[in-house]
This record gives sequence, structure tokens and C-alpha cells, in this order.
Amino acid sequence: MIEIHGLSIDLGEFHLRNINLTINDGEYMVLLGPTGAGKTVLLECIVGIYRPHAGRILVDGTDVTRLFPEERNVGFVPQDYALFPNMTVKRNVAYGLRARRAPDDEIEPKCDEMMKSLGISHLHHRLPLNLSGGERQRVALGRALITQPRILLLDEPLSALDENLRAELAAELVRIQRSLHGTFLHVCHSLDEAADVADRVAIMRDGTIVQVGTIAEIIARPASLFVARFTRARNFLNGTARPAACGCRIDLANGVSLAADRCTAQGPITAVIRPEDVQILNGAFQDTDGVIRGRVMSLRAKPMFTEILLDAGISLVVLDRTGRTQEAHVGDELLVRVPPEVVNVFPRSPDA
Amino acid sequence: MSGELLGKRTQAHLLVSAFYAVTVLLLIASCWLFVSNLDQLFPKPAARAVAGMSKWKTAGPSRSEFGGGFWRDAAFWRSVNLTVVTATGTMLLAAAIGIPAAYALSRYRIPGRSAIDILFSSIIVLPSSSIGLCLIIMMQQSPLFKLQEATGLRLVYTLPGIIVVQLVLSLAMGMSAWRAAFDRVNPRFEQVARSLGSSGWRAFVTVTLPAAKPGIIAGLIVAWVRAAAEFGGILLFCGTFAERPAGSFSSAARLLHVQQADPLSVSMWAQIEYGNVEYGFAIGFTLVLISAISVYTIHKLGGKTFVW
Repeated sequence: MIEIHGLSIDLGEFHLRNINLTINDGEYMVLLGPTGAGKTVLLECIVGIYRPHAGRILVDGTDVTRLFPEERNVGFVPQDYALFPNMTVKRNVAYGLRARRAPDDEIEPKCDEMMKSLGISHLHHRLPLNLSGGERQRVALGRALITQPRILLLDEPLSALDENLRAELAAELVRIQRSLHGTFLHVCHSLDEAADVADRVAIMRDGTIVQVGTIAEIIARPASLFVARFTRARNFLNGTARPAACGCRIDLANGVSLAADRCTAQGPITAVIRPEDVQILNGAFQDTDGVIRGRVMSLRAKPMFTEILLDAGISLVVLDRTGRTQEAHVGDELLVRVPPEVVNVFPRSPDA
Repeated sequence: MSGELLGKRTQAHLLVSAFYAVTVLLLIASCWLFVSNLDQLFPKPAARAVAGMSKWKTAGPSRSEFGGGFWRDAAFWRSVNLTVVTATGTMLLAAAIGIPAAYALSRYRIPGRSAIDILFSSIIVLPSSSIGLCLIIMMQQSPLFKLQEATGLRLVYTLPGIIVVQLVLSLAMGMSAWRAAFDRVNPRFEQVARSLGSSGWRAFVTVTLPAAKPGIIAGLIVAWVRAAAEFGGILLFCGTFAERPAGSFSSAARLLHVQQADPLSVSMWAQIEYGNVEYGFAIGFTLVLISAISVYTIHKLGGKTFVW
């Protein structure tokens, strides 16, 4: 288990402020956030490249905050993989074992086994310069994993790869992590990449962690407007909230009113509704609460859904994954329903 | 309009042609200089009668009348010895001080790093005779003078003083190449090596140094060549040694066969001053050969970008 308590560091351009995070054994945790959020700096603090100004890092209960990198047994795969250019693939993979003075008769079979499991046995005499992106990633993984680190830190391991390869290698990372029962901390800035690999996600912004949870939790219940925007919520509606029997009543523009099951803010608020959570009504419906009648302003067919812009006194973006709007045209009337449980309410801020 | 374009194109052609013409002329002049002195390699009939010349003052023919075959002169080989020994010693000292310093400047945020950069760059552009003068003042008129008196170790006008002068410029030039070499090596390599269990020193030796090898070697060669070519500073700080009494040299100097010898650069000047112009040319030819081989080696090792 990795525990980070109150970690802070100031590097001028980048900083971390009071980071608290726990990564359980066998967990695949993703650090997600925009560029400059401090994700790589946090990783580098765990590796031991930087010494934090405050806070502690515990690995399996041992305080490693003041230890050198070579004393922490933490594996690190940087963004550019940093394969040693003067060594062959096999020597790269074996480096950690040689550094720890493993017996020679142990190094060879362990190397062969690791390279075979990663499908890179055929590369053993090649130099890093002559490898493709996917091959370099596997060699870097093999080099880090062969020393059986307590946690493996991956800094944007898929960002340098093309889209097709990215999905394939994301699945490969998960397979390796499961087979080794390893603890992985993976840094990225793509929600899709995080969704492909993560057990839990920690979202970072400006050197702090703003929310931790599963992808589903973060998408359904973002902790802030920033998280909602980062997880691609689309409908940000300004209005006024007041407590009600159902939980919360939100009055929006042009007489439109919605219910929310929780009143996390009152007075001037911003309501966030994910496009895919809006229900398209077809035929009879029992519950009229949250029903909105609107006119179709635009229809955009995408591979897996149709994106509809609805004018209902408020602008609402709706995603149709069911195919119900196949016959719809611009200008048609459409009935939609916003269930109370999908409405997230935040105090209105200048960011909105 | 088309007239203007034609005019500009003609101007460009003329410029390029002029550039090529100047380059070809320089090449011809350099080759002529070498070729015209090649006869110095071959002793003339009068010289063959002489078994060897160790003292140019006392032997019959002067060095110009010696008629070539400078490689038969023991004094020439003592100069070569002195040049090689001092340049090698300087190179090793410069490496011992400069490589760690260059690594530190490359990797760590040292206070005053800009000032250090400016200082070393200034040394490179200073005339070497100015450096010699500064060193004399430093050694003769500062607390260092008292230190020399107390320890009995004198540097001014001595053979070890040659290394002091050579070190100043060799260190500056070597550090320029070594710093560039380390700047080019991604610090991530060491970070990853340490995360794999390697100590800082082991990471440096097994990962950083091999990756920086072309630049390190280029720096060593530059330091050696700069030391071997040093002239003005040595002349001012050490003077000449060829005419000093044999007894004034230490046993170490006699063991290394460097007694009564000047470095090749000083010896070349001395011979021309004394009127033995062809001999001076021959020594100059030797120095050019040494430089050419060094430059070729730097190119071959891929170290060119670390030097110029």
C-alpha cells in the first residue's frame, strides 16, 4: 500500500499542495489531470527525484520520504521510456538485477522469462534506437518489472503511441498488472485512457487532488465544476436553487424548472447535466417531473450516437444512443426528461 | 523585374564563386607550405657526415645548414618528449578537475553558475600571453609567493610551470566540450537507473559516461591539443630552457629526457629567431600534423558537435 500524507513541494513553475492519497495493494490507480497539474511532479516525488518540503510518503508502512531512489524499490517508466542508448534490449532489461548484484545464474533466466512474457524475446540484441514505440514501451516495462517493485509508476506510457496501438497496449498493461497482482500508478491526461485501465482515478488540478473515485463515481458525481468539465459534461445551466421536498428545486431561464435529488448549493448555482443522462421520451410517460419540451436545433450523427441540440427555453445537448431520433429532423419537437438523480448542483463561479 | 532577378542571381553566383576561389587558394597555400618543407625530412649529403647534433651552437653546421633530417636531432626529440609529457599531464589534471565540474554545472543549480560560464568563456578568448602575465603577477606578488617560499616549490621559470600555464586554457576548453556532452545526456537515464537500484555513482559510470563518451573524448583531445599548442603564456611564465645549464635540471627531468628542451611551440619560435627558419618550419609542420590528427580523431569519434 502506498500512502501519501500532506505532501507539498514548490519547484517554481510547478508545485504540489497538501497531497493526500492512498493506493491499495493490487490496485491500478490513474492520476488524471490537464497539463501542468503536477501529476509528473507527484510521480517524481514518489520515485525520489525530488524531496518534498512537507509531508510523508509511506510504502508498505515504511517512511521513504528521505530515502534515495535506489532505496525505495519503486519502479519507474518515464514518458520517453529513457531506455539506455548504449545497451542492448537484454542489457536494459537486466540492468536492475545487475545493479542489485543478483547472482549471474539468476539474471539470465529471469531476463528470458520477462522478455518472453512481454513478447520481446526476438529483440534481445537490438539497440533502443532501432525499436518502434510499442517495442520500447515493452522493454521499459520489462526493465522496471523485473526487480519486482512495490509499485510501478508510469508517466503517460501511451501518449507517444498512435491511437490503434494505444488501446491494444492499454489492455496489455491491465493484463500485466492483473497477472502480477501489481500496484500501478499511471499518469495521463486522457479520460478515455483512464477509463481503459483504472480501478480508481485521482483528478489533479493546480498541484492538488480534487477528487478520488472510480470513473463511474467521478462522472456521475463530479466534486466541482472543473471535474465536470474535465470529464466532458456538456450542459452547464445557470439558475437558482432552493430546497424542496424532492431534494432541490432548480429554476432556470424562461420558466424551465428541474428537480435534483441533492441540494449541494442554494441561491445562484450552476446545474450540470450530462448529455447521455437526458432521457428521450417516446409515447406515454408517467412522471411529468423534469419533462422538457423543446425544438431540435441541430442533429449530428456520430459513430455510436446522435448529438442533438435542443432549444427548450434553455439550450440542452442530448445524446441519443438508442436510435429513437433516427427519423427526427431540425425543427421537430422533442420531449426529453432529466431525472433528478443526474443533476449535479454547484455554487455559481466565474469559471462557469 | 526579370532584369532585377537576373541581376540578383548573378550576384549570388559571383559570391559563391568568390567563396570557392578563396577556399581553393587557401588549400593550395597550405599544401604548398607543407610540400615546400618536406625536404626537411631528408638529410642533405653534408648532414649525413655528422653523427648527430645535440648542441646547435657548438656543432659545425647550423641547423639550417644541417640540411634536413630534423628527426635525427636529439634536441628535437627532447622537445617532443616535453610537449607530450606536459600536454598529457595537463590533460589528465584538466580531466580530473573539469569532468566532475562540468557534470555539476550541467546537472545542478549551482549559485553563480552564469558567472562561472562567463569566466571560462573569457579565458578562452584571452590572448595566452595575457594569461602568462597574470600568472606571473599572481605567483610573484600575492600570498602564493610566500607559499612557494615556504614550501620550496617554485613554478615561475620552471618546467612544472609549463603545466600550470597549459592547464588554464585546457581546462576552459575541455570544460566547454564536457559540459556540452553532459547537457546532451537525458537526466532521466540516471533517474531511471537509480530507481532500478543503482547508486548515483554507478548510474554515472554505467549510463551517463558511456552516453557522453564522444563528447568526453573530444574534450580530452581538445585539452591535449590546446596544451601542446600553448606558446605565449609559456614564454612569459617559464621562459626558455634550451640554453640553461644541464645541472640546473632535476633528476626527474633527466629521467624523462626533457632537460634543456623547450615545448615544440617555443622551440619553433626560438629556431626562427635564431635564423634557422627551415628548422622552425619543420617543427611547425610537426605541430600542424599533430593538430590535423587530433581534428581527424575528433571527427571520427563523432565529437565534432561538442567542440565547434
